Amino acid sequence: MLKKSIASISAAVAIATLLGGLAAHADETCNSPYMAKLIKGQEDYVYVWTLGVEGLGDGSDKLVTVDVDPKSKSYGKVIGQVSVGTRGEAHHMGFTDDRRRIWAGGLAGSDIYVFDIGTDPGRPKLVKTIKDLAARTGYIGPHTYYALPGRMLVQALSNEKDKGGVTGIASYNNEGEFIARYPMPVDGGGDGYGYDLAVNPTKNVLLTSSFAGYANYMRPLGELIKDEAAMKRFGNTMVAWDLKSMKPKTIMQVPGAPLEIRWSLKPGDDWAITAAALTSKLWLVRPGAGGQWQAKEVGTIGDPAKIPLPVDISIRADGKGLWVNTFMDGMTRYFDLSNPEAPKQTYEKHTGAQVNMISQSWDGTRVYITSSLLANWDKGGADNEQFLRGFRWDGRALTPAFEVDFTKEKLGRAHHMKLGSKVLRTAYVAPDAR
Amino acid sequence: MDISVVAALLWLAAAPTPPPADEPPRMDFDLPEPGTYELHRIMRAPDGPVLTVDGELDRLSQFTRGRITLLGFIYTSCTNPQGCPLAYRVFDRLKDEIRATPALKDQVQLVTLSFDPARDSPSVMKRYAGSQLEDEGGLRWFFLTTPSVRELLPLVEGFGQDVQYAEDRSTGRPIRQLSHVLKVFLIDRAGDVREIYTSTFLHPRAIIGDIKTLLME
Repeated sequence: MLKKSIASISAAVAIATLLGGLAAHADETCNSPYMAKLIKGQEDYVYVWTLGVEGLGDGSDKLVTVDVDPKSKSYGKVIGQVSVGTRGEAHHMGFTDDRRRIWAGGLAGSDIYVFDIGTDPGRPKLVKTIKDLAARTGYIGPHTYYALPGRMLVQALSNEKDKGGVTGIASYNNEGEFIARYPMPVDGGGDGYGYDLAVNPTKNVLLTSSFAGYANYMRPLGELIKDEAAMKRFGNTMVAWDLKSMKPKTIMQVPGAPLEIRWSLKPGDDWAITAAALTSKLWLVRPGAGGQWQAKEVGTIGDPAKIPLPVDISIRADGKGLWVNTFMDGMTRYFDLSNPEAPKQTYEKHTGAQVNMISQSWDGTRVYITSSLLANWDKGGADNEQFLRGFRWDGRALTPAFEVDFTKEKLGRAHHMKLGSKVLRTAYVAPDAR
Repeated sequence: MDISVVAALLWLAAAPTPPPADEPPRMDFDLPEPGTYELHRIMRAPDGPVLTVDGELDRLSQFTRGRITLLGFIYTSCTNPQGCPLAYRVFDRLKDEIRATPALKDQVQLVTLSFDPARDSPSVMKRYAGSQLEDEGGLRWFFLTTPSVRELLPLVEGFGQDVQYAEDRSTGRPIRQLSHVLKVFLIDRAGDVREIYTSTFLHPRAIIGDIKTLLME
């Protein structure tokens, strides 16, 4: 095997010489800018990090692989699943910078699962479980996994002590060894809450947003919204950090739980956008006249009085458009972002009884949607649809392309998605993987 | 034509020379002052046998301990302007800045390590290095390769310098290419990696600040 590996490396290096000028393009628009090995054209797989449901299949959280190559015989079908053997509110995941592995976690505890996708992208393999997050940091509910060179930032949602929203960020190297912790700021207007994080290296800035702690997100939604005191325990801030020093620089007041953060990827742009879940508002973050980071409300999503609950956004690669999913009304909306100071809704479609995550291909022609928000927040009865739906987008309308029914397939609640490609394999294979 | 033949022909035609100057990305922000922040220990720098430009077998740790080290992987035939040529250019600029700063010049060393041992022999690396091998002003720049991929693998894996296959299917026909995001590793005097830079965001001023931060510990 080693001989084969050596031969393939020599050939590959030679080919790289021939093709060294080829530019890479990204497959998704929400990944870390440090990520390598981006899909240039058609993705082959959608990986879906799926919450287990008691009595459904093995009942455990699992990474589900769906074939999304339209030329494949198994297009739109589940081609694999890797169960982690327990149920812990599977939520989000992220690639390491080398795209060899996916880190995924659950909000009910603090374990982080590491899947190898570099050896065989069509057959993810659970290779490690990181179990020391709570012991090292006091944080629980690992949410966002964001690649830095050779390491991962993990944004947590809660803490072990009181299970409230005061939390922080942990960093690990790519082998899963703990490096450091960074508490969310509680002074100077900070509420200490966390949710998403996203980096702009050209500005040396890390942005974070804020949601709620375990005591809120693990509680049934119908019960929670009647608890006035609990409803005050949601995040109302975003923070601009100095990326190099990992120190908070500017705390911005963004009421109503600002969630996913998306930087415009257009070269030269200096802004990011987010949606506040409880107020149903779009917020723009960019430097003000003095260079200090500022957040500004720039748009409304649906009718805020009806609490549509915007839960995920996906920005176009050129920064000119934004998809917004609202969970309660099952709507997928498209906003023209030509002027990010004034987003304008130009399209909407009812895409499910409940919709959560939304991802688009780099060219924007393929859009993927999943259904589950949290085990105790998903709807009941017939509205508890659990799916991955693929759509085609021609700039005017979303056209259904395929659907995987996650209940019928006995998989669970479909949550976060990442795109995969069969050709993005590791050339240098670790000795223990051969 | 068999790809190995193409590669061989290409290899014969293209003698490695130091790459052209490529500018690092624009950096329009203020960095924190050296010493006001902490560079955490990310991992232990791996060790293993390497070959110098004179063909002498040594351990990599001989070139990554005692001083603050900047180490980057290259292959001499790399032409991606955001890859090896940029790293070379950044190292070249760092060399000038370090030599001009008395507090730094005896404290830092540069290591360029090939991940193409099949073609980057010691003599090829010597030609690639050119005059950079001359020890001027107390700064050392080592150009190293490995006897074979067998010795290279643990170093590549240990540093996490990924190399993967990619494929361009925009033409409808698969074309294989090797892609890599070049990384540069900042290693402290004890041999721990303290920062990792990627070629996309590799800037001399940031690196100099980090070196000064380590020297203030």
